[in-house]
Amino acid sequence: MSEEQKNPNYWKSLNELAQNEEYKRYAEREFQENASELNDDVSRRSFLRIMGASIALAGFASCRRPVQKILPYSKQPEDIVHGVPRYYASSQPFQDALTGIVVESREGRPNKIEGNEMHQASRGATSIFGQAELLGLYDPDRSRYPLQNGEQSTYNAFRKFCNDHFSDAGRSIAFISEASSSPTFHRLREQALDRFSDARWVTYEPFGEDNALAGTEIAFGERLRTVNHYGEASVVVALDDDFMNPAANKNSVQNTKDFSAVRRVQSAEDEMIRFYAVESTFTLTGSNADHRLRLKSSEIGPFLYALAARLSGPLEGLASYSGFTGKFTDHEWIEILAEELMNHRGESVLTVGAEHRPELHATVAAINQALGNAGESVTYHRLPYLPEQDNSLSLAALVREMNDGAIDTVVMVGTNPVYTAPADLNFSEAISNVETSIHLSDYVDETSKNATWHVNRAHFLEAWGDGYSFTGTRSVVQPLIRPLFSGVSAIEFLNTVVTGEETGGHDLVRRTWRQYYGTNFQQRWNRVLHDGVDTDGHFPEISTRIDSGFDRAARQFTAEEMDRDGMELVIRPDSTLFDGRYANNGWLQELPDPMTKITWDNVALISKNTADRLSIQQAGLGSVSVDIIRITAGDRQIELPVWIQPGHADDSITITVGYGREGIGRVANGTGVDTYPMRTTDHMLFATGVGVEKTGRHYKIACTQDHHSMEGRSLMRYSTIEAYRQNPDFASYEGSYNAELPGEKYAQEKGQEHPLAMFDPPDYPDHEPQWGMAIDLNACVGCGACTIACQAENNIPVVGKKEVSTGREMHWIRTDRYFEGDVDDPRALHQPVPCMHCELAPCEQVCPVAATTHSDDGMNQMTYNRCIGTRYCLNNCPYKVRRFNFFNYTDEFLTSGSDPEVIQMAMNPDVTVRFRGVMEKCTYCVQRVNRAKINTKVETDGASVRPPDGTVKTACQQVCPAEAITFGDLTDEESTVSKAKRNERNYLLLEELNTRPRTSYLAKLTNPNPKLA
Amino acid sequence: MSKNYQFVPEPKLVKGDHSFSSITDMIVKTPLSPAPHLWYLAFGLANLLLITLLGAVGYLIWDGVGIWGLNNPAGWGWAIINFVWWVGIGHAGTLISAILHLFRQGWRTAINRFAEAMTIFAVMCAGLFPAIHVGRIWVIYWVFPVPNSMAIWPNFSSPLLWDVFAVGTYFTVSLLFWYVGLIPDFATLRDRAKTKLSKISYGIASLGWTGSFRNWWNYEKAYMILAGLATPLVLSVHSIVSFDFSVSVIPGWHSTIFPPYFVAGAIYSGFAMVLTLMLIARRIYGLEDIMNIDIMEKMNLVMMVTGNLVAFAYLMEGFVAWYSGYIYEQGIFWLYVVGPYSWGFWILMFCNVVTPQFLWSKYIRRNIALTFIISIIVNIGMWFERFMIAVASLATDFMPSSWDYYSPTFWDIITYVGTFGLFFTFFLLFLRYLPMVAIAEVKGVMPQADPHNYDKDTGEFVPSKAQPAIPEQQTT
Repeated sequence: MSEEQKNPNYWKSLNELAQNEEYKRYAEREFQENASELNDDVSRRSFLRIMGASIALAGFASCRRPVQKILPYSKQPEDIVHGVPRYYASSQPFQDALTGIVVESREGRPNKIEGNEMHQASRGATSIFGQAELLGLYDPDRSRYPLQNGEQSTYNAFRKFCNDHFSDAGRSIAFISEASSSPTFHRLREQALDRFSDARWVTYEPFGEDNALAGTEIAFGERLRTVNHYGEASVVVALDDDFMNPAANKNSVQNTKDFSAVRRVQSAEDEMIRFYAVESTFTLTGSNADHRLRLKSSEIGPFLYALAARLSGPLEGLASYSGFTGKFTDHEWIEILAEELMNHRGESVLTVGAEHRPELHATVAAINQALGNAGESVTYHRLPYLPEQDNSLSLAALVREMNDGAIDTVVMVGTNPVYTAPADLNFSEAISNVETSIHLSDYVDETSKNATWHVNRAHFLEAWGDGYSFTGTRSVVQPLIRPLFSGVSAIEFLNTVVTGEETGGHDLVRRTWRQYYGTNFQQRWNRVLHDGVDTDGHFPEISTRIDSGFDRAARQFTAEEMDRDGMELVIRPDSTLFDGRYANNGWLQELPDPMTKITWDNVALISKNTADRLSIQQAGLGSVSVDIIRITAGDRQIELPVWIQPGHADDSITITVGYGREGIGRVANGTGVDTYPMRTTDHMLFATGVGVEKTGRHYKIACTQDHHSMEGRSLMRYSTIEAYRQNPDFASYEGSYNAELPGEKYAQEKGQEHPLAMFDPPDYPDHEPQWGMAIDLNACVGCGACTIACQAENNIPVVGKKEVSTGREMHWIRTDRYFEGDVDDPRALHQPVPCMHCELAPCEQVCPVAATTHSDDGMNQMTYNRCIGTRYCLNNCPYKVRRFNFFNYTDEFLTSGSDPEVIQMAMNPDVTVRFRGVMEKCTYCVQRVNRAKINTKVETDGASVRPPDGTVKTACQQVCPAEAITFGDLTDEESTVSKAKRNERNYLLLEELNTRPRTSYLAKLTNPNPKLA
Repeated sequence: MSKNYQFVPEPKLVKGDHSFSSITDMIVKTPLSPAPHLWYLAFGLANLLLITLLGAVGYLIWDGVGIWGLNNPAGWGWAIINFVWWVGIGHAGTLISAILHLFRQGWRTAINRFAEAMTIFAVMCAGLFPAIHVGRIWVIYWVFPVPNSMAIWPNFSSPLLWDVFAVGTYFTVSLLFWYVGLIPDFATLRDRAKTKLSKISYGIASLGWTGSFRNWWNYEKAYMILAGLATPLVLSVHSIVSFDFSVSVIPGWHSTIFPPYFVAGAIYSGFAMVLTLMLIARRIYGLEDIMNIDIMEKMNLVMMVTGNLVAFAYLMEGFVAWYSGYIYEQGIFWLYVVGPYSWGFWILMFCNVVTPQFLWSKYIRRNIALTFIISIIVNIGMWFERFMIAVASLATDFMPSSWDYYSPTFWDIITYVGTFGLFFTFFLLFLRYLPMVAIAEVKGVMPQADPHNYDKDTGEFVPSKAQPAIPEQQTT
């Protein structure tokens, strides 16, 4: 790390810079001096003090702007050039799975997170969470110091407390930790359990992998991780499994990469896999299915057993299911799925959602085993750090102990059980029965407020760590900056608890890694830091055999399967906030849900039929107010706004968790409704027999898309692969509208390439590259990572719920989601829409001051300084991709709070922040393009400004887990984008307007089963 | 020989038994005598609204155009609607003064001064909106082709730039035209003024008018030239305003019918506004003899014709949408009719298509109360026309994914209402201090103005005295 990273040279005041005693006292107080005294009568002394201070400050402020000196390095570090970013490999932990990342560092501050191409779980991409972690790092609301009984303390005091408190090794101690794959973490865990004789360790994740592990234990007699290889499958059947959604699957990036790779079609000869989804909620994954069956989550069980029963005939090993009959035994889908799975033995994937009961996971495992998929398209791995038993069960047991007073000390490592634990455990009461509770967390959250000690946690970009990817690639978490708020990482915290010492994370991690690298440690360690991955290893794969006890178990649980009637309530993690841990992240709060396009709120999703029965009106254009309903399950009830989701299963309500938090931060507070109270140990995924009623009250929802039909316009073109083979030109204008493109005949007669235009197209110099983009709608799954990557790259402000509900979201690339067909069972289509960079741009013609013009390399440019804000360009943009700064959003976003310098550090210095009153839009990441052009010019001694293909990647392209976006030079015939645009499926959005967009689309294909079509 | 022909006597343009001096007295008494209490009340009210406007504009500039209801698809809202609406209203004055002058329509003299004043104030209200609706008003001078250190011209292909020129020219010429017409009347006021201040003020304003033959000669020539200059502007200004819409690609905007349709609509709304104001003013200031029922009927006829032109344009929009086969145009027309803004469309249809049909009835054309109501309905209708064009087309254009509903905020409404304060402040000042009828011109259309055919005894125009140059006809 460079020198300046160690001594961050941003400062809040001259006092801080001087680091005098007065300032230190000031910084350590939560409130300004006198803030608490002010509640009392103002004494003469305090009054004079305040007045004196404010006069001094006022006088000081009025003198002149504070002088900020920019000094050159007294000792120039090697390789550092100001303004040129540096890149470091690191990893992003998410639960117990690491994703390899490469972090851009500018002048010592991490500035953008990209995927690590060498890392299997990333291959250059990240999820929305990977992108948003950057803003999380600079969140000024993060906890800044340890608290003891709510009073500000220091880490040193905490260490002293630990020395004292844990010197008695016989205390009854309970550790509750979040899931982690860090070997160092588990080394310290072993150390803790060794040291404290009466210690127990519970790993608790509200949305974990427990049921899947328990399922393999039933099926194979061992808790094994199931890894589905979508890239090696021909048929995928997902039962309520949202495996492409990062909130529902910790390996979503790899899953999406694999899935879209086998969906990618370059020519008519290519094959596609076929994907069936059975689910209650219309999920992101379900929207990418060739066939989707909507089914209540509570009916997934009978459905799966019926499928197993049907397969028990032709397949061996499923005999225990043969006797099962139920509601779905004669269902059309059972026959079709059975046939598909039988035809693709060894190359199919059957999967069920993580939150479903272990019995379903066991059944899925047994079927995959019977189909011969195990070891082929589905593999099972032994984890080196596997928790011994089920989370929620052990948590429940622990809570009982706590309530009995059997626990003396609870140490919570980065989890938030008061908020996330099953509601019936009533964790907040349990914790009050414990004498000492210690909580490590990012925010002073619900648990921290109940704990004796809160210790502020360092962000993963601030502290050393390590861990395994989902499939077992080992990497190091390398920090990019010293902790902004002097927090500690989980391993440093644990180390202090166990040893009473303050050892740096660097030493702790290296100590662990020494056991991997016996010889040549430093060299191999440097290699890991450089590459970001150790070896391309994976967890040991286990050759599975059905456990001897499985048959009996299966007979028992199929026999116990019962019909669950009535309304069901399904509780899922939120697509953007996950379990609530990202609640204070503005980028994620404002990222539209991939299916509902709702921001800033959670809603209860119901189908149209259910809504009709409850006489609930559809929200839409001009009516953004929705009903608030009351959902009652047993003696628990919540009230939250209801939203009609076409394609949702009837008699089913989906709610998501993560909202309704208070006292966390400026972003999280007051958004949405806390739905955890509905989640109990018995109803982790769904509750049945719930009651619903309208409250008669209404609520305004901020949804970024108010209209869901394409209105018969061929904006998003798609076909089946069969039809494509017969008519490769289906995506052309003629193919879509069955009519000739207006003006084409005239152009042909005149021998011109394009229809006649009113304005002359710009002249492009020969030496310039010509940029273009192609978006493969067949690959795109609609996850929204592009939106958030663009937001991170281009300093796009967060505007808040009120502005979004007025229709003023600022995202430069949006993902349109259309519904087609039956309102009960529609097809959902995702279409990312950035600026089209039209060659004949309607926006350019109408700007009165020529603030938007064309560049020599074919980009439609926006000159912020010239813009006077008539918004005429926005009006005249047929694609509506322009975004206007109606207020000074950037100012509001970047200067709130007492130390706005923190969040300002997240901004990309290469991109101008925009003032109020100016228009902005996608620039094709012109800062990246120009950097590459300059580099090429330097490298070629000025001979060329055309970067070689692949050297420029736009932010949206780089992050895309589906590799749907290609970008490059159109004058280069061999560039990937030129090749993509030569594909028959290539089409232009609103081609008939003759705007000649540089961004084009490749039409979507589906691979339906003719028997179901 | 008896004549088998005779003139159909034209109704007298000025009713009642008036001499030149009684006309002068009738008109100059308002500026030269103390204002009635009612005027102070009205002026106070108008000032309140004007202050409201200033407050709203101040807050707008302070906080940003986000205080209005604008959003992503609808980048233009009430500001542009109001701009077009006020410019449309500002059409009547110059049309009445210039075009009707060239066509020798004597009845225009009863209302031309009045209508021109209205035009100028309406264009002032209109001009306010494009200025304040931009995001960064402090650099709005960039729209003018001023040589500058950035060495950059405005974009001459932008209709907004054309607007700057069109509205600017229109305002300048209208103001000049109005002022030139006022010069002889200023002299009349100067001569009759009692107080020192008014003598000096009117004296300066009358530019040394003596009433000599040479004065009149120059005056008539200047007036004619300005009328000639103003005539094309009447047509151009609203054509160019319509280009803001029709030059774009947006369905519902991109339409070749817009220029004539906008001009017809502008005349329609302008006449309605003149009627609204005139029917009040004639009553209060006792000008029924000059602004009489015949004049009102003629104006109603103009409204009927232009109203039906506008109605025809609506029908043509529907026809063209269907006939073009252009799905976006069809889509937007259908959305007008049944979409989220259909309520606006049906208000518009009632106001602008149904209402002018009442004017086929002579009874209604000559009924003051009904005409007053119709004139108000027409102005509401014309506001909604601009609302449908500007907002409904933008809110639901090409990409259904971006469709969004626009609704105004408190600030949109208060700014619009405030412009009435601006308008009436100026208008009331005009009524108070300037002759609201062109004294010299009205006299020119009275029988007395023609000494050869004027029968002093009866005070009538005598056709027999006028020797028509009609050849003697053979009679058998």
